[in-house]
Amino acid sequence: MSTMRAVEGWTVKPLERFVNEAGARLTLLMTPAGQVLAQFGFTRAVDVMAAAALGAAIVSSTAEIARLLEEPQFSALNHQGLRHGIFVAGFDSPRGRLLALVVYGTNSSVGLVQLFFEDFVRDLIAACPVPEERRPVLAEDFERELNQSLASLFRS
Amino acid sequence: MSDDIRAMTSELARDPGSLVFIPLGEALRARGQIEAARKVIRAGLERNPDSTDAHDLHARLLVDVGDLEGAEREWSLVLSADARHLGAHKGLGFLCYRRGDVDGALDHLELALSVDPADPNVLQALQTVRGVVAEGGRSAPAVPARHGEMAADTGPFSGVEGADRAMLLVDPRGRVLGGGLRNPAGIEVAETVAAQLAGVSQEAERTVRVLELGEWSSIVAEAADGNMFLCQALPDTILLLVRDRSVPPARMQVIAEKAAEQARAWIAGQTP
Amino acid sequence: MDRGADAVTGIRFRRLLDQVTRVRGVRGALLVAGEDGLVVAEAVMEGVRANAVAALTGSLARRMRRTADAAGIGFPHFLHLQATTGAICAVPAADGTLVVAIADAEVNVGLLRLALLKVAEVMA
Repeated sequence: MSTMRAVEGWTVKPLERFVNEAGARLTLLMTPAGQVLAQFGFTRAVDVMAAAALGAAIVSSTAEIARLLEEPQFSALNHQGLRHGIFVAGFDSPRGRLLALVVYGTNSSVGLVQLFFEDFVRDLIAACPVPEERRPVLAEDFERELNQSLASLFRS
Repeated sequence: MSDDIRAMTSELARDPGSLVFIPLGEALRARGQIEAARKVIRAGLERNPDSTDAHDLHARLLVDVGDLEGAEREWSLVLSADARHLGAHKGLGFLCYRRGDVDGALDHLELALSVDPADPNVLQALQTVRGVVAEGGRSAPAVPARHGEMAADTGPFSGVEGADRAMLLVDPRGRVLGGGLRNPAGIEVAETVAAQLAGVSQEAERTVRVLELGEWSSIVAEAADGNMFLCQALPDTILLLVRDRSVPPARMQVIAEKAAEQARAWIAGQTP
Repeated sequence: MDRGADAVTGIRFRRLLDQVTRVRGVRGALLVAGEDGLVVAEAVMEGVRANAVAALTGSLARRMRRTADAAGIGFPHFLHLQATTGAICAVPAADGTLVVAIADAEVNVGLLRLALLKVAEVMA
């Protein structure tokens, strides 16, 4: 049974490989604005929306802290809980900056997630199609695109 | 006694009403100290009769000693208090599957999945049950009613010393093909260990692939109360040998190689 | 941050790991944070991916620990994965760190085991 869904087809193979190798329980690939490109493991749209918004907010908050400290942008964050770890990382791609939020359990570790995340980024960059010319994002476009994304992520 | 167990025992002695008896029971069960775990849980339940997690652990301990009816009563009790209890749905799904009730197993496992969609055990169990349904059967293959009965069939290793209590042949999905395994307390642990071995094999394959070390041939673990030797009898089929510490790993390798040869012949004989 | 203290710790770890890399056929030795699978200290030959060795060995060791637990034989104090073109050995130290070596397939496992146990003992 697969719980993988992608808005953009080119993300499927790299994501599939990553979750298999790293033993991730949940993975969300998104833009810094929280628009979801692909997900693995979520079964409800509302969870994806919340996770995407929170993941994007975490990255944006830590970027701001880095700016205050006059440090270069943090590339990855890890929070280790008792039963789960949360790994959030950003990377540059031909589609601009992308973020990944990974939840892993006791069958995996931050070391494994980091190790296979490097391959994931490489695979995504290799699979990414040449971007179309970008247009400014309007509020109504954003909402429509978000709804389209969610519909596509949870279509039967 | 490990530090964790010691610390939890002290905490429980200080505060007998504490819920620490649940992780203590889990830790004792994980170490194979089933009777000790049962004592802790029974005493804990007297003070905390409403703890669903304690009843869930009690049910698993009852399965360990072969009291499936008792386990079913405990899990049903849990569901009457918490209809979305993950452990109870997993346990009842397991019991339904064991007695051949595939529909019942599917119901409980799907409810378990709705509670935790990422639980790998539920996903694997559902895959197995759905596999049975896809093969046309609405009733599961015959499964021994008690853990201990698996040991009687030593098929691939008949005649090999320790075949019924210290040697296992396991398929890639973590199911026992033959042999038997008992822990030092004499409790049958074949199925539990077999389930773990599937993960070990995948782990070893991934390790050698990523590090470019060729094919893995064996894994040795020397532990406080015994040694383990794992090898691949056939591609994707794992042979596990357990011996006490007096048997050195090099000698275990020789025994394992002979047993693997016998297992290969046995598997070839089973193929239609 | 006390960089002097860091350097001293680094030298100490390096000396410990040298006892392992001295064994003929060893390609690298590492101290790994067992639960996280992250490198604490390393002494590896060029071409050995220390982070991969750490993450993968940490994970294998965890799996083996669960299996040994399920089999009721207690906590493993030595692990050896043998493959056709290499071998990995690991020994847990008392603080949850793993002392790990990656070696050629023909390495003297007996000698390597002793070297790893000695490092683990010193770490304790």
